[in-house]
Amino acid sequence: MNQAPVFAVVGHPNKGKSSIVATLSQNDAIAIALEPGTTRRSHAYPLQVDGQVLYTLVDTPGFQRPRRVLEWLEAHSVSASDRAAAVAAFVTQHRGNPQFSDECELLTPLIEGAGIIYVVDGSVPYNPQHEAEMTILRWTGRPSLALINSIGDENYGDTWQAALGQFFQIVRTFDAVRAPFEQHLSLLRAFGQLEPAWENPLKAATGFLDRQRQQRRQHAATLIAQTLQQMMGYRHSRSLAEDLTASASSQNKDALASELRKSWYQHQRQREQQLRGDIQQLYQHDQLQRQEAKLEWQSEHDLFSEGSRQLWGANKGYLAGVGFGAGAVGGVGIDALTLGASFGTGALIGGIVGAAGSYFYGDRLPLPTLKIGPLRDGVKTASFGPVPDTQFGYVVLGRALNHWWQVSHRNHAGRTALALATTDSHWLEGLPKQDRNILHRALEKARKGKAPGPNDPHKLGQAITRAMETYNEWQLKNL
Amino acid sequence: MVKQSAAKPSVTKTPITKQPLRLLMDFDAQIQRDDQQAPDFIHRRDRKCALSGEEHNSPSGPAHWLAWLGRFDNSSDQSSGPGQSTEQHWQRINSGFIALGAVLGIITMTGLLFYDGGQRINVTVIIGFVALQLLFALLTSLQSVVGWQPWRPLLNRVVPAPAPALQPLQPALMARAAQGGGLSFAVAALLTLLAMVVTQDLAFGWSTTLNTAASGYHQLTSALATPWAWLWPAAVPDLALVDATRFFRAGTNTALTPARWGQWWPFISMLWLVWVVLPRLLLRLLASALVRLRARKLLLCHPGLRALRERMATPVLDTGAGRNDANDLPDTRYNTLLQPLPEKAHLLSWAGAGTVNDKQASPSVLSAICLGPALNVGGLASLGQDQQAIAQLTASSDAVTAIVLVRSWEPPTGELLDFLTSARQSWPVGSRVCLLPLEATTRSPSATALQPWLRFAERCSPGFVTVGDIVISTELAQS
Repeated sequence: MNQAPVFAVVGHPNKGKSSIVATLSQNDAIAIALEPGTTRRSHAYPLQVDGQVLYTLVDTPGFQRPRRVLEWLEAHSVSASDRAAAVAAFVTQHRGNPQFSDECELLTPLIEGAGIIYVVDGSVPYNPQHEAEMTILRWTGRPSLALINSIGDENYGDTWQAALGQFFQIVRTFDAVRAPFEQHLSLLRAFGQLEPAWENPLKAATGFLDRQRQQRRQHAATLIAQTLQQMMGYRHSRSLAEDLTASASSQNKDALASELRKSWYQHQRQREQQLRGDIQQLYQHDQLQRQEAKLEWQSEHDLFSEGSRQLWGANKGYLAGVGFGAGAVGGVGIDALTLGASFGTGALIGGIVGAAGSYFYGDRLPLPTLKIGPLRDGVKTASFGPVPDTQFGYVVLGRALNHWWQVSHRNHAGRTALALATTDSHWLEGLPKQDRNILHRALEKARKGKAPGPNDPHKLGQAITRAMETYNEWQLKNL
Repeated sequence: MVKQSAAKPSVTKTPITKQPLRLLMDFDAQIQRDDQQAPDFIHRRDRKCALSGEEHNSPSGPAHWLAWLGRFDNSSDQSSGPGQSTEQHWQRINSGFIALGAVLGIITMTGLLFYDGGQRINVTVIIGFVALQLLFALLTSLQSVVGWQPWRPLLNRVVPAPAPALQPLQPALMARAAQGGGLSFAVAALLTLLAMVVTQDLAFGWSTTLNTAASGYHQLTSALATPWAWLWPAAVPDLALVDATRFFRAGTNTALTPARWGQWWPFISMLWLVWVVLPRLLLRLLASALVRLRARKLLLCHPGLRALRERMATPVLDTGAGRNDANDLPDTRYNTLLQPLPEKAHLLSWAGAGTVNDKQASPSVLSAICLGPALNVGGLASLGQDQQAIAQLTASSDAVTAIVLVRSWEPPTGELLDFLTSARQSWPVGSRVCLLPLEATTRSPSATALQPWLRFAERCSPGFVTVGDIVISTELAQS
């Protein structure tokens, strides 16, 4: 049986070896720091599909004493044919020796058959002084690939590329923190080029990773759809005590409204945070710190403030458009009842009414109001919510898509807090008309407390998937 | 692909064949429970179920999935669960309807056949009542097909609110219960009729205010008796009987033989059996079939089933994200400060720092400090050259003061530590080394780049190594 390929990520200390492994293994819990010696032991990160390992990445400590190792190797080698054996003998000889513990850790996977991924920092000048470690790697006889990572802002990639080409079969540039997902796959495919037997497992692995990404997008769309429906239709209710019912003065009502409003807001915030957590978990960003304005109503980031509405809400023209579409669907019912005798007037009237309603609400975000229900079974119920119009849904959706986009485009090597920056133009304009209507109808239905039909969640999920594509294109265009 | 065998016991204990309603409810309850589970866990679990099914060539429907999930359940009560509970609820409702129907059937028939010896029992009334029963039966079925639930508020008070998955099934379930009650009513009424025919002397006749001839009435009874005319001709009243048994409230028909009044009973019995009992029976069976059909359809449309199939078909991809050493970072605290450069010192260049090969040559301020040209150590220099440099400085003065130029972006390694340790051992007491990190550009090194050097100096022998700064030295010289 063919053994799954193993790739040891090696290099000088602090060149981003762990960052490369973190990004490719989608693990944001790997210790990464600008401190030599952060990685003290080798750690294997296998990629498994249904329990079968397709390949393994091994994160290793950096070279500490390459000249001394090379000196030992040269002293114990007779000819070029015994160099790999000399490297193995070095590891055997020095295992347990604290002076060479890092070298033993990084050379062990190589003598066990791993491919070499040699990482350098392309943001600092080329340094010929690293030749000792490159020579040791060449002595192992293992297939090798050099990776020019970029930790800083400068770019010395060209000089590195020219120099490394003399030592390594393949030289690639890969920014562990900023490289887009397509480059991850491309790099993994390049790993497969190191040996013919490795090509198929790496090809299969990239196929699985690609499919996983697509499924994550769909899953994220489902999560956003569920959250939207729940937040749009959420009503906070409370049974009223007899005394309060009896003395239903305006002061009591105000206090009650304030209390229910607070609980309603808190629930909506928690629900939004839950979505954030779910999306991050979906993309395996468990350690991610977020910097985002909370779903606030009363602060400067007020969800219903003019700025927030302009940022994430739908504009009047958009709402009038989708309002017309939704109204026209209702109006078709009139035409059906008249067996077409109204010649489509019903659809037209429905469309105009829908558009007018949406246009009217387009420039404001009304808050829910307190409602006290009739006495039933001796108890009165006070309720707050759901939101009176769909603009709220567009704001929640915009914020959710922004978070999803940032998380899905974030590499696991990133250690800075995720800043959910604001933007100055609107993405909704690029959404196909059919999806706008599906989205608007779903928001309206949820707001009115109507149960979704059997296919509605699926349709909404698909509309949000396309909204994600639209948002992605819009973001990339802005970038 | 590796197929993992299912954990033992692999033989399912729960019966696979389940009533569609129970299956729907059990499935829905499991999906609700899964909402509380981690998505990764349910994906792994369901994928394993699918692989186990493939291995044993067993189907992968919801029933098998539930059985697979329950295979470790040692409870002897296999019938427990939400499906069973729902069925029991409805069994109680059905029983209530049956009991009520039976009581009402007996009372109704007793009322219809009330005979005090004076007035005849009017066949016309019985025919009308039969028509009414038939109409009720059809309306009950129609209401379930349309989904109208006028009894819903009443039901909500009696039974707990149904799960969302069961809500679309409520009309069909209610129709089944109502048809069961109707059937019970019809059968009880028929038995009452037969009992009264046997135990009492009933006198039937027909009467109507309308000016109807006996022949017309005979046509009506013959039409009603068509279904059983071939089976029991005696149960079809002939014209003579119809003609003879008409009675008027205002007059008396004493000429008729008393036995003739009783000859209507076979017709009445068959009328009830064929037009009340049989339709109820058929509609009851239809309602049961409708419940099963709808439950099956709801299960197929269940959003959880779509997600389950997706999970079963999607391979579990583990990218190696399980390892977490995010908190296992080296101690980055330090107490050392940057020091001014010594007034006079020997100059050493570690790994080519500050040499002409480097981007930034040795700073000009050093020319006034240094006692001679820089000695190359580390990097491309051999270990022997390192030792030669140490020996050269040992011979030149009593206590050595040296400045070691290093690249700030190349973190200190074990080799530098070895070099400094060797120098300390070789040089006289009171010797000092000042590390001077240089930046790749003309700027001074950033604080982030200097921190590892300060920590490195702390790890070296106390008082032997410091980290120098040109800016501090220049400022001191100017003051």
